[in-house]
Amino acid sequence: MRKSTASGTLRYLLTCWKLNAAGAMEFRLSFFLTAGMMFINNCIWLVFWGIFFTKFPVVNGWELRDVMLMWAVAAGGFGWANMLFGNFTRVAAITAAGQLDVYLTQPKPVLLSVLASRMSLMAIGDFMFGWVIYGLVGDHSLRGLALFMLGLLISGLLIMFFTLVANSLAFYIGNAEGLAFQVFNGFLALTTYPTDIFRGGVRIILFTLVPAGFISYIPIGLLGGIQDSFLIGALGITALVAGIGIAFFYHGLRRYTSGNQLGIRS
Amino acid sequence: MNNRLLLKWKKYEAVGIITLRHQFAYITDLLLRSVFLLLILYIFIQLWQAAYQGDADAVIAGFSLQQIIWYLVFAEAITMAKPPIGAKIEEEVKSGDIAVRLIRPLSYVGFHYMSYMGEATLRFFIHLAVGSSIALSFMGAPEFGSGLAALFMLSIGAFTVAFMLHMIIALFAFWLEETRGLEFVMQKLQFTVGGMLLPLEMMPEWLQRICAWLPFQTVLYFPAKMAVAYDAKLLIPYLAIQWGWVVVLAVVVIMTYRTGVKKLHVNGG
Repeated sequence: MRKSTASGTLRYLLTCWKLNAAGAMEFRLSFFLTAGMMFINNCIWLVFWGIFFTKFPVVNGWELRDVMLMWAVAAGGFGWANMLFGNFTRVAAITAAGQLDVYLTQPKPVLLSVLASRMSLMAIGDFMFGWVIYGLVGDHSLRGLALFMLGLLISGLLIMFFTLVANSLAFYIGNAEGLAFQVFNGFLALTTYPTDIFRGGVRIILFTLVPAGFISYIPIGLLGGIQDSFLIGALGITALVAGIGIAFFYHGLRRYTSGNQLGIRS
Repeated sequence: MNNRLLLKWKKYEAVGIITLRHQFAYITDLLLRSVFLLLILYIFIQLWQAAYQGDADAVIAGFSLQQIIWYLVFAEAITMAKPPIGAKIEEEVKSGDIAVRLIRPLSYVGFHYMSYMGEATLRFFIHLAVGSSIALSFMGAPEFGSGLAALFMLSIGAFTVAFMLHMIIALFAFWLEETRGLEFVMQKLQFTVGGMLLPLEMMPEWLQRICAWLPFQTVLYFPAKMAVAYDAKLLIPYLAIQWGWVVVLAVVVIMTYRTGVKKLHVNGG
């Protein structure tokens, strides 16, 4: 029984992703333009870093290659999470507008249903960017590839569930859209600067309360040679943030009082 | 004749003042949003401190650590003050509201310019205050001398050039409806060749030569550079280049508007 539920959920997810992809391809030009824009956006940041490192070749032990890989991991992780579970940035808006009703009536896990029902076009550009940078400066051995993919997994899950926690505040404080957006933007910004420029209390925060450090440090602590304490910490904090995100969402859902809006999923 | 001009000006002045007043209603929201500026500036302070290895006396490409941080405060304050004119015009075209706008006894471009300047004024001072608070606490106040006066003088031209650049893109909505992509490219050009992330002196020689021929440097680099490293000899040339670009871009805006408005099909309104 349990097995058939799991395989049913997986089939449901695959169908969601297939339909989302088909929907995106309906507007091919817009799709390529939007994805391309994100790709260019990330490249421009690398241009900044390229110029920066011509003036300062090493900054607290970080070189241009490390920063490029940091961007690859952050953008790539954000990319896959936003492609497959594109609603994680919009949970607050969906909740505040009373649009959760439509997901509540379906015989599938509510959170999974909400998250997987949207695919971000821009994110495809981010995901591609991650792989292009890996192709340019990454370690192409089988081990290097496996570590990069693990980095992407940690990065995507952390970004998604941390953002979900902020978005779930909507259940408790009502309109949390602006606050959740700020938290999301701030978290993303922190994942794209070398961890070692931060000292003292802020550095501790980056590895605890706002665990963006577990993404930005991946080029050093994982791809540059596995540091056991970092890897254990990263996996542990990812599991913890995911657990908190899911628990926070479902706890909040019990307080959800719906709107009186009629809606259907197209 | 003079009276007629004065009356005309009064209409546009009123647009600017009304927009400014309107913005005061959302001041809390604006302050909340500026928290992001605090975070970005905090990150940049850490980054540049690491780059300068905490050496307050070091001068790299003509900038001390303190100057570079204040340069970023001014450049970010201008960047974040710019109202989203592209999105506004795109929305007017899509919703058909432009039909109402066009029949008013006001120039369409003139209306948007005054509204843009009114909104930018409040946003600029708020972001300047927020940015200055973090720079003051980490870096202290440098000797600006006449730099601050130069900043405000150059800011008027800076916002005018920014308006013209974004207006040209925004007017493409008359043909395309969707202008976000072009707007995005424009924004990124200002980030890089406009000198928002780095002063132009930090860039390679060849790139500096290209930047000198583009209008983007007049929006962020000119005011921010003059504020932190005031040079009386450069003030007049900078103002001349800035307003020279205003004239050139104004011609392009007017031509684009005149051609575009004939192509415009308004649905609804």
